[in-house]
Amino acid sequence: MFPIQRRDFIIGGSALLTLGAGRNALAQPAPSMTPHEKELFEAARKEGGELTWYTAQSDDITAQALGRSFEQLYPGIRVNVLRTTAQVAYQRVTQEIKASAIQCDVLSTTDIGHCVALKATGALEKYVPDNSGKVLDIYKNYDPDGYYFVNSAGMIGIGYNTSKVKEADAPKNWTDLLDPKWKDNIALGHPGFSGYVGTWTLTMRNQYGWDFFEKIAKNNPRIGRSINDTVTMLNAGECSIAGCGPVGTLLESVQKGNPLAMVYPTDGTVLIIAPSGIMKGCKHPAASRLFMEFLLSVGASQIWVDHFNETIRPEISPPKGAKSAKDLKTIRPTVEQITKGIPEVIKQWRETFGV
Amino acid sequence: MTDNSLDIRALHFSGIASRLRRLDASMLLWLALIAALAFLILNPVLRLIISSLQETDTGSFTLANYRTAYGNIRHLQSLLNSLELGVGVALLATCFAVPMAWAISRTDMPGKAFVRLMVFAAFVTPPYLGAIGWILLAGPNSGWLNKVWMALTGASHGIFNVYSMTGLILVISVTSFPYTFVFTSSALDLVSSEMEDAANILGARTLRTTLRITLPLVTPAIIGGIIISFLEAIALFGAPALIALPARFNVVSTQLWQFFEYPVRVEEAAAYSMPLLAITVLMFWIQRRILGRRGYTSVTGKGGERRMIALGPWRWVMLGYALLVCALSVFLPMLVLVQAAFAKAWGRGFSLDNLTLHNFYYLLFEQTQAKQTILNTFLYSAVTAFAAISLTLAIAYVVNRKLVPFSNVLAFLCMAPFVVPGIVLAIGFYAAYAPPPLALYGTATILILGFTTRFLPIAYTSSAAGLRSINPEMEEAVRILGGSRLLAIRKVLIPLLKKSLAGAWILVFIPATRELSSAIFLVGPNTRVISVMLFDLSEEGNFEVLAALGVILLVATVAIAGIGSKIIGRDFMLRRNS
Repeated sequence: MFPIQRRDFIIGGSALLTLGAGRNALAQPAPSMTPHEKELFEAARKEGGELTWYTAQSDDITAQALGRSFEQLYPGIRVNVLRTTAQVAYQRVTQEIKASAIQCDVLSTTDIGHCVALKATGALEKYVPDNSGKVLDIYKNYDPDGYYFVNSAGMIGIGYNTSKVKEADAPKNWTDLLDPKWKDNIALGHPGFSGYVGTWTLTMRNQYGWDFFEKIAKNNPRIGRSINDTVTMLNAGECSIAGCGPVGTLLESVQKGNPLAMVYPTDGTVLIIAPSGIMKGCKHPAASRLFMEFLLSVGASQIWVDHFNETIRPEISPPKGAKSAKDLKTIRPTVEQITKGIPEVIKQWRETFGV
Repeated sequence: MTDNSLDIRALHFSGIASRLRRLDASMLLWLALIAALAFLILNPVLRLIISSLQETDTGSFTLANYRTAYGNIRHLQSLLNSLELGVGVALLATCFAVPMAWAISRTDMPGKAFVRLMVFAAFVTPPYLGAIGWILLAGPNSGWLNKVWMALTGASHGIFNVYSMTGLILVISVTSFPYTFVFTSSALDLVSSEMEDAANILGARTLRTTLRITLPLVTPAIIGGIIISFLEAIALFGAPALIALPARFNVVSTQLWQFFEYPVRVEEAAAYSMPLLAITVLMFWIQRRILGRRGYTSVTGKGGERRMIALGPWRWVMLGYALLVCALSVFLPMLVLVQAAFAKAWGRGFSLDNLTLHNFYYLLFEQTQAKQTILNTFLYSAVTAFAAISLTLAIAYVVNRKLVPFSNVLAFLCMAPFVVPGIVLAIGFYAAYAPPPLALYGTATILILGFTTRFLPIAYTSSAAGLRSINPEMEEAVRILGGSRLLAIRKVLIPLLKKSLAGAWILVFIPATRELSSAIFLVGPNTRVISVMLFDLSEEGNFEVLAALGVILLVATVAIAGIGSKIIGRDFMLRRNS
């Protein structure tokens, strides 16, 4: 028994050494911290120098890039980045609230209904970031009371695999997905997991009624969980059409050399606005505030744009080769519709698709 | 030692009071062990049963949870799906395992060491990782097997579809057959050739002898294996989430997960998990009924001579079959997983310009969570193995040496988690210990406690087997010479048991590293383990990074198990009872 204990210690120790190298490579502090940021930064260091960020707003790669950028700007503060789908993040947060053990500091969801519900039950901490006044007008003032703020936006169109589908044959509009020629070849996410897919499902229901899904079910779509699953399915050649294609993830994949292309449907591209808020009773309130400032900063918008998402700051121009929401016809549900409608469409989805 | 409370307790056993007085220390020990087991097993399970009968907010008695849990046709369908899955896996795993176990244990099949090694590899592979391997192999349009098929035949469609019940049964069977294999082969190892010889003398051929004599003798082991694979299959969460969802059906575990969506309905989840409990209890009852009346005592452990059956040319057929099972469970999934782990984009296939180390670099240097997660996994698994072994060794000792009355209660409780599926156990733990007063949510403690409970039966079986092999005479010698029991344990028992304890440690350690079903409800952001991280990564289909993390998990586990085997100097998993 004892030799193992000793050996374990050695294995553990050496693993620590090898794995530990590389963390905290010399980082430069932010060149121009405002006095307010400096104050938060000092307080954040005192309270433990870390925070836990649950995010559903991007793929893991973009989320990690945001976390690393924050760590470089504010050296000594570690960000635990937990990327999941929106409903899974929300499930964990509600589980924590129920157990009265808040682990999450900042929650970034893609289902604005989550923030509405959390605010209503008093689970969010009020904080108005300095940067909240500096974002583009369309992203301002979603919660005038200051409990949550829209910090990112993305679009959903139709994606296709160019090695399987010619541009001329590709769907032009949402209703083209119902064409029987796409049978067995459409990839979708799941609204019970993904906030993006939830909003998309709701928008489609607003646009065409639930009948749209009864019909698309006849095409036997491949249902994953995250909206990013659809891009994986295209890349793998498992499917040729991403019925709800996330513009950011898909264009990033194109940049890597995958044979994909994006269609912006004529009835309108679905625009998702995604908010963040601080959990009440969280362990790192100062770091959380600093992080909220960061999420609304020019630097964060630059990272979003680098990963082919929308910018929320006027200072940053949209990504090269990508269309921006302001140049396109976009459609989206209202916040009230989302709050009420997403639980409904999840139920309807389960009845229609069986999962 | 003779304080009041003990005296009062002693009254309860008035008939043996005088004996008890001598055993005061043992009595305390017994109470401590009972308390530990009550904490680990009784309380969470009772809490689960009680909360299934409670109203969410008021806590008053209600049957509403059962109504909502079963008042939906899809929920009932999920139950049936789980049954189908469990039966399918149990049968297929038996078909995989029993012929292999027989061939290795009783015949002159070549390549035995290699086949054993591959069974071990299958044992180490977590089911969800196997599932991902099979998604890459048998995705209907993009899977490698289908691509090969289409290239060979010119067909426009593949023939394999992993996204189906059959696919799910296959995927789970190839990772759970090692249980049946281990049970069967260690039982076969103990059967002497005498009975087979008798059958041969009376004119029976090899096949008839095997089917009528040898295999029936190890029925208890085979039935044990069937039950374990059945329970594994219905309690698994990861593989069904990856395969059943795209295949458009739910099973009990994925349905249970939905009860944890907002709003969290622990009470309904509890109500919905009752059939799992009932089914498992029923299975063990049936097992007793089948086995209870017959004698299998030819398996004495002191058998006479054992000779290997000469199969002639058939030994190559057996080897072929064994290799087929190995291919399904190890070669093929590992090949595609390793390819994906080192690929820029796995869909681009095997080519030099597709090779990269970036997935590993990303995990170890760019991802903020991976390093911590890897360390957590091995730390928690190691601590779990120590905790489970220490506790069960103490219990096995008390039971084996009959130090206290009613010691069998302890043994029973140790084995009880067998009948509680991991996901149900986790829900019980969550309900009992996540909220205040203990407020263990998100701590390493709750994970380790959960894991310890989950693997208590494995630990107990191994500890008890180890203890049985040691004759109490040696300890008695110490005591006659005036040494205390503790001295006897320290100086005689532990040194003698060192090897089998190390083996038991590894037997708990390995499943702990791959445990997902109970971890998924108990992890917090700072206590994530690899299995949960793999599950999160799988959500967005990032197969390259996911495969890389899987490879890290497998390599590290095999390394630790390898060092362990070196130390104990034998094949701990496959011959643990010898």
